Amino acid sequence: MTSTEIARVRPARTPRRSGPRSTLTRSSGLGLGIAMIWFSALVLIPLAAVVVTAIDGGWETFWATITNGQTMAAIKLTVFTAAGVTVVNVVMGPLIAWVLVRDRFWGKSVLEVMIDIPFALPTIVAGLVLLSLYGNADSPLGIDIANERPAVFLAFLFVTLPFVVRMVQPVLEELELDVEEAAASLGASRFTTFRRIILPSLAPAIAAGAALSFARGVSEYGSLVLLSGNLPFKTEVTSVRILSSIENDNVAAAAAVATVLLAISLTVIVLLDLIQRRVAARG
Amino acid sequence: MSIEVSGLNKKFGDFVALDNVDVTIPTGQLTALLGPSGGGKSTLLRIIAGLEKGDSGTVNIEGVDATNLPAQKRNVGFVFQHYAVFKHMTVAKNVAFGLEIRKRPKDEIEHRVNELLKLVHLSQFSHRLPSQLSGGQRQRMALARALAVEPKVLLLDEPFGALDAKVRKELRDWLRRLHDDVHVTTVFVTHDQEEALEVADEIVVVNEGRVEQVGTPDQLYDEPANDFVMSFLGEVTHLGGASLRPHDIELETAPRMAGAVEGTIARMVRIGFEVRLTVLTVDGDEVSVVATRTHARSQRLEEGSTVWLTPADGATMVPRMAVAG
Repeated sequence: MTSTEIARVRPARTPRRSGPRSTLTRSSGLGLGIAMIWFSALVLIPLAAVVVTAIDGGWETFWATITNGQTMAAIKLTVFTAAGVTVVNVVMGPLIAWVLVRDRFWGKSVLEVMIDIPFALPTIVAGLVLLSLYGNADSPLGIDIANERPAVFLAFLFVTLPFVVRMVQPVLEELELDVEEAAASLGASRFTTFRRIILPSLAPAIAAGAALSFARGVSEYGSLVLLSGNLPFKTEVTSVRILSSIENDNVAAAAAVATVLLAISLTVIVLLDLIQRRVAARG
Repeated sequence: MSIEVSGLNKKFGDFVALDNVDVTIPTGQLTALLGPSGGGKSTLLRIIAGLEKGDSGTVNIEGVDATNLPAQKRNVGFVFQHYAVFKHMTVAKNVAFGLEIRKRPKDEIEHRVNELLKLVHLSQFSHRLPSQLSGGQRQRMALARALAVEPKVLLLDEPFGALDAKVRKELRDWLRRLHDDVHVTTVFVTHDQEEALEVADEIVVVNEGRVEQVGTPDQLYDEPANDFVMSFLGEVTHLGGASLRPHDIELETAPRMAGAVEGTIARMVRIGFEVRLTVLTVDGDEVSVVATRTHARSQRLEEGSTVWLTPADGATMVPRMAVAG
């Protein structure tokens, strides 16, 4: 028995990364060509153009632009707020997904649809909603955070809510209950089971959701522009800063800020992927 | 006695899964819970493991009242039909899981894992991920993982149900040999009577939430407590007021024995050395009979022949149920 099974499984021992052995046929080559042209025209070339514009005026101009006090404040506010919101989502997202997948309750299907509202709603409408609820002296909730930093946080939180939930939900649905039961019968507490069995399975989904959530936060404009008041050094975010640079005919400055954001987003995405791999492999 | 279940009841909504079940499972033996799907045997096993809670009744494992103990504290090994592997862990890590939870020293864990992998013939696969194993190998890994914590009892829920016929047969033999080596009290659930008869020391027949009979394979086959047990363990036909096996009916072309039932052969199918006949009796019964080909030929049996049927000497017979199974 054993020898036949060894023979059957042996191919798996060949290294999975066996190098870029191309499997392209003529038609799939055409497909790849179209995909690359599409990707280049929409993403790569504009990105390259932004970077070129940013460094067109030389390194010193670039450096001067981004170390400008007001710009720096905007970058800091945006990045830190987006990071903070992402942390909140990493905790809340799986929790909401868990409730949606594992629990049965009245009104679940309604909640299921509601989760997507921040996706579907035009962001400026979201901004208006937030403004009317949290942004004036006679707010029905008695909370007025207009022109304050929490306004930015709240707006980010609103628009990024669905990302982690929607990434984690299908993975959680696929998780087999008997795996958790197996862990329990081996003596693992609920917490240990979650940490060593469930979390590693969810990690890729959480990381992907977190990356989306962070990127969305960094780029957010519509939902916060009304509530935050866009006060320089206080509530002005980078997207607003870029817009005002363009309005002042300073394309190079706008591109410089954009380039910094690009670099930060890329770093965060790579970082999240690394963390995800570690968590998934730890078990 | 290793596991004692008494007065166990379990309902899922209106469905009665277990109806006042009392059963005792002997120490050190391989016991099969046998019955049709939905009969409650898996529920019984899961309640013993603590994965499900009974509505009332008690579970006693090796003298300890386990009724209210959570699964984590029962120290039972559980093997699932669909393996329940920890996908992101290597084979060795899977097996080590229970020991790591118990915070055993590293070298002890390593030693024990190696020992177990050798036992289940997976030593050379210790660094693989479960996805790189075949179904049979995954199930052996799951078994090693369950044995790692030195459980008081080992419970297997349809352990070979997801495997193809050939591997299932191999693993069945292997489980029997493994049990002869390890001697841990083992209970496995199956709906395959052949599997139960071949592997188990003792069989508990469970149907519609009740225990129908407990006994050795021979006892069950030779002295079935009722029509259900008899029909579940093999083919059954009805002659007169009794249920019996088709090969336990004697067939004559003349009414030589007293009480022989007269009938006509309606159908005749030859399969290798045996001949399967359907006889319509004068009482209006349809009786299946199995004869050897030689017998059929010597008696010149053919469709339409008139024959007389009698139960063979020493045939296993039970009174027929009101509603025939």
